[in-house]
Amino acid sequence: MSYLVLARKWRPQLFDDLVGQEHVSQTLKNAITTDRVHHAFLFTGARGVGKTSAARIFAKALNCQQGVTTTPCGTCSSCVEITSGQGIDVLEIDGASHNGVDDIRELRDAVRYLPSQGRYKIIIIDEVHMLSNSAFNALLKTLEEPPAHVKFIFATTEPHKIPVTILSRCQRFDFRKIGIAAVQARLRYIAGEEEITISDIGLAAIARHGGGSMRDALSAFDQVIACCGNEVADEPVQQILGQVSSQLLLDTLAAIVERDPPKLLRLVAQIDDLGHSFRQFCHQLVALVRGLVILKVIAQPGELLDVSEGELAELRRLAEPRPLDEFQRILAFLLKTEAELATSSFSRLTMEVALVKLATLPTGIDVATLIQRLERLEKKLLARVDYSAPAAVAPPVVSEGHGAAPAAVSTSHGADLPPEPPPLPEEPEEKKPDAQPAEEQSAGSWAGLVAFVRNRQRPRISSLLEQASLLTLELPLLRIAMPAKFFGLADSEMQQNLQGLAAEYFSVPVTIEMIKGAHGEAQPPSLHEERERQETDRQRKLRENALEHPLVKSALEIFGGTVEKVTPIDKGFV
Amino acid sequence: MDSIVGHQQQIRILNAAIEHNRVAHAYLFDGPDGIGKKLVAQIFARNFLCESANGCGLCASCSQMAAHTHPDFFTLEPDGTAIKIDQIRALQPQLVLRSFAGRGKVCLIDSAELMTHEAANALLKTLEEPTAGTLIILISSRPDSLLSTIRSRCQRVRFNRLPSRELARHLEKALTISAAEAKVLAAVADGSFEKALGQHQDLYLKKRAGLIQSLSALSPTSSIQTFELAQALKAEKDTIDEILNLFDVFFRDLLLVQHGQAEDQLINQDLLPLIQQQSRQLSTPQVMDKLEAVARARRYLSRNVNLHLTLDHMLMQIAHA
Repeated sequence: MSYLVLARKWRPQLFDDLVGQEHVSQTLKNAITTDRVHHAFLFTGARGVGKTSAARIFAKALNCQQGVTTTPCGTCSSCVEITSGQGIDVLEIDGASHNGVDDIRELRDAVRYLPSQGRYKIIIIDEVHMLSNSAFNALLKTLEEPPAHVKFIFATTEPHKIPVTILSRCQRFDFRKIGIAAVQARLRYIAGEEEITISDIGLAAIARHGGGSMRDALSAFDQVIACCGNEVADEPVQQILGQVSSQLLLDTLAAIVERDPPKLLRLVAQIDDLGHSFRQFCHQLVALVRGLVILKVIAQPGELLDVSEGELAELRRLAEPRPLDEFQRILAFLLKTEAELATSSFSRLTMEVALVKLATLPTGIDVATLIQRLERLEKKLLARVDYSAPAAVAPPVVSEGHGAAPAAVSTSHGADLPPEPPPLPEEPEEKKPDAQPAEEQSAGSWAGLVAFVRNRQRPRISSLLEQASLLTLELPLLRIAMPAKFFGLADSEMQQNLQGLAAEYFSVPVTIEMIKGAHGEAQPPSLHEERERQETDRQRKLRENALEHPLVKSALEIFGGTVEKVTPIDKGFV
Repeated sequence: MDSIVGHQQQIRILNAAIEHNRVAHAYLFDGPDGIGKKLVAQIFARNFLCESANGCGLCASCSQMAAHTHPDFFTLEPDGTAIKIDQIRALQPQLVLRSFAGRGKVCLIDSAELMTHEAANALLKTLEEPTAGTLIILISSRPDSLLSTIRSRCQRVRFNRLPSRELARHLEKALTISAAEAKVLAAVADGSFEKALGQHQDLYLKKRAGLIQSLSALSPTSSIQTFELAQALKAEKDTIDEILNLFDVFFRDLLLVQHGQAEDQLINQDLLPLIQQQSRQLSTPQVMDKLEAVARARRYLSRNVNLHLTLDHMLMQIAHA
């Protein structure tokens, strides 16, 4: 007789052996005792939590020769056959290798015949998620109304791959992950039966390694026994399971927090020498940083953290001096590194670079502090507008928290335009919440709008606006006359853009009406015209000034010439 | 098993399992590429099938194993880029039959992570409860890409990289090279025999120094050198991955020296003066930027971006970082 691994040898044979799935076994038992057994079941859950075992126990319970029972005898020929997987009435099918529609057709033919010995013909399809779509569909009618002697049991780890039409025809049982304590208790029982000496600490490490799966835990236990024999000491367990010792992890974490790259590099070398996988190392490091984050949020984590007292004290010490944000940043970075390690060709390098980066990252500032600073700055700026010269620059401010339209802040963007009434300094809005925006809307605001549009890198719209003349500006209505030759250019898209920009500038929704300006009609001059007029005014003035200049006068007298043209040397100078 | 370099603990565990008749039905051998996992698996299989259970090398079973004609020994390898479901289906009836020689059947699945999703699922039931006397060995360098349901059914045996000192000693003997060369080769190969003895030996031993010299000579002011190096690298298209690894390794050395690590941790130990000089000239963030540039180039190449452009871009970033 060849050796059976623990997971197979100690496969549960009774409902009561099913560890951690009491909700399932109780329901199934009740169904049996009240004689309300459904014809199709779906068992789902993670790997190694007892789905296949439960299916077999249930099959035995239904077909036991002692009668339908919640405690199958395990000795009658039916029970023995099912345990050894040889029953003729219980078909256990590997859904993943027999996943075609033909396999299901065969099955459909088989279920028509009455069971040869037992009460029921029980079809167990394991890994049922791998059935092809047509195979599932071929099963639908049979599954809905099977013959009275047929029971279906499906088992899978991936229920989301099963069509809803199948799901709706089955009673579904979700198997939970098994708690560490329950796994440990079962391991203790098996260790006793197998006559293996092992401490509770070692068993706990194995149970934790299983991650909620009994089979994973038992495979690990097998591995430990294979290495150590019947006397298992504590130290080798961690080593065999490939786990990095917690002291090394804590040292690494301390070096990250204390920003000590040389120490980190030494630790990496040490971990490499010990032959650990860096992925495992990173994984455990992530778990530890998670602990730090939890400690920052909850003072007494209790069951959330599965660490010893000494480790907890050390974690608390590390968590103390740094803000939560920093640990979250470390956590995010390590998670990214863990993913990178999976594909990295030189994992030691990846780990080294990641850790050095973590230890040399500049300290971050959290967003809340940044916003506070920004708000302070804003207030200062607004306060300065109060006292300073009218030309002080204050960009339009949209402050949060004011649902009502904030008053437009006049700008001096128009400073490079021809002289105009200087914009009125705007009172900080907190002081004048009811200020009517309309009272500042003099002609200056139109020029301001054009300048605003130009500053927004919309040259086309702004140059069109310069040619247009303002008819009325009574917010929210803005009427503009566009000269006939440009009217074609002011299409709806441009108008829409302008509307958006104007709304932004005036801080209220603006309705823009654009009319076609005809020649000869009395219209206020456009900005362009005004500038031209002013330019000629300036030219005239310039000429007068020049002619009156004593130097020019005497030159004219001496040479007897005439002044042909006056050109300014520097526009800004005069 | 004496001919195997390293892995003493793993071999001890496996031999003990045979001795105490505690051989599990499924093993997963995991560890980096090219360190001898398959070799250990083959010898484990030989010992398991051996008539005197110790790999005597004399019995019929052992001689059949040596001649690769054993009727109870099956090997599955990727057909093309993957292990397909048909291969698994073809295997299953073989494993159900009784063993020919009576001691059991062994199936070795190499690069198990390359099983398609369907193939892996099809293996699950067999892997959980094979016929008595069946031994299935999965070999994988990336066990994390296996299904968790597969991993949970196997007993894991971890294989570590060979310590570079041990590898160097063997390389010195096997290749008849100098001790210094062997040391560098072992360090660059990262504990993998396959890498050290593979086709890139020439690159590691001869071209490496030149490449790194020209890499460190790049400067932001002269782009001609940058483009010349890119041109030269383009010609090395087949080994570009290894060359990028070399660059990585060089920058890592700089980082290590900057943070005061001992010399024997370095990989390019023969280029120590250059490394020391460079590590003084550059700041840590600069080295990080250069590493990032290499990483980005590798990412681009894996997505089929034009090689020449990628290299130009990478070298320019390295020069300017």
